[in-house]
Amino acid sequence: MNEDSPVQILKNNIWYSNPIFIQILGICSTLAVTNNLSNTFIMTVGLMFVAAFTNITVSLLKNIIPRKVRMILQTLIIAFYVIIVDILLRAYLPEISKSLGPYVGLIITNCIIMGRAEAFAQSHGPIISAWDGITSGLGYMWVLLVIAFVRELMGFGTLFGITVLPAGFTHWTIMVMAPSAFFLLGTFIWIAKTIILKQEAK
Amino acid sequence: MKKDSLLYTVIISVVFAFLFVFLLSLAYGATKGKVEENQKLIEARAYLVAAGIAVDDDMDIEASFNSSFPNFDTESAYQTTTVNGKSVIVSPFQGNGLWGTITGVIGLTSDLKRIVGFEIVSHVETPGLGGRIDEAWFKKQFKGENAANGIVVKHGGGSGDTDPDNGEVDGITGASRTSDSVQVIVNQQIEFLKSELGGTK
Repeated sequence: MNEDSPVQILKNNIWYSNPIFIQILGICSTLAVTNNLSNTFIMTVGLMFVAAFTNITVSLLKNIIPRKVRMILQTLIIAFYVIIVDILLRAYLPEISKSLGPYVGLIITNCIIMGRAEAFAQSHGPIISAWDGITSGLGYMWVLLVIAFVRELMGFGTLFGITVLPAGFTHWTIMVMAPSAFFLLGTFIWIAKTIILKQEAK
Repeated sequence: MKKDSLLYTVIISVVFAFLFVFLLSLAYGATKGKVEENQKLIEARAYLVAAGIAVDDDMDIEASFNSSFPNFDTESAYQTTTVNGKSVIVSPFQGNGLWGTITGVIGLTSDLKRIVGFEIVSHVETPGLGGRIDEAWFKKQFKGENAANGIVVKHGGGSGDTDPDNGEVDGITGASRTSDSVQVIVNQQIEFLKSELGGTK
């Protein structure tokens, strides 16, 4: 199948070359924000938005940007969209902006965005690049949500802030802290790789 | 002009930097009023919470704020108001957290012996760890707490502290530094108010 067809891009970004467990990109945010489902969800939506628009912009401007300064200009474009997200959240969703705090700004340093801009948008048209950005964001989102689901459930006994486990449940403090994301991510990669290897063996 | 030439590179870089920063300042300018409005509401809400007034999502914060603080004096370090017949001293505080400034509002009884309410306005602590100082369970602990000898934000213990008379509140697991900062900031503010109000007694 054609590598650049929309369906193949979707499959690749969600599973076969998932940004988190295959490309191992954006790990810092995976460790940091995933102890709470709501924050994780908004952060990943923000990333999806930034990735899509950065890809469109980079793809449109790829022919006039000199190679020498292309990465610094990509960073400028990424920073531009991240600040736009921050401004919009602050003006229209102040509660969420407050709870995310400095993490919105940290989307700038997320390697997935620059990785996709470099690897995909530089050599593809704007529309398919936007699709690549969105699906990369989706691939990032579902893995983070799975990790956040386990961490919030074990760490706080809640899901999206709603208590689901009985009051007698002892909260696993380790799940609230960053190290647990290492263990969970490691386990996740292990399971995902095992499945992929089995698929390939067939 | 050649695309690899130095001149072209410099011009393109300058043009792009200018263009994007210009667009950003437009977006900032367009939302400035809205952001300030939000900030005012957050502060007004914090004053109400600190004064021990129950705040819910449906109430008109601005009207409630104006009726509770009719003589709001922006020059003064604290405000006095009467809630349910009791005099309350409400004052904004700020201090250093782990990553940056923590600001908020604290309300105390007129003899400065008990905390009436405590609200965080802004902070840049680690989300999910120190950032949890802004969660309801943490702030609620201060309400009614005995502050005659200052407060202690406890580490460890496991079982949790529910006694309002011992001047202790539970710290946040994994955020000892932020917990310590809150303790220092609150105690400094109480000391400050004691010295401010000392003269008027």
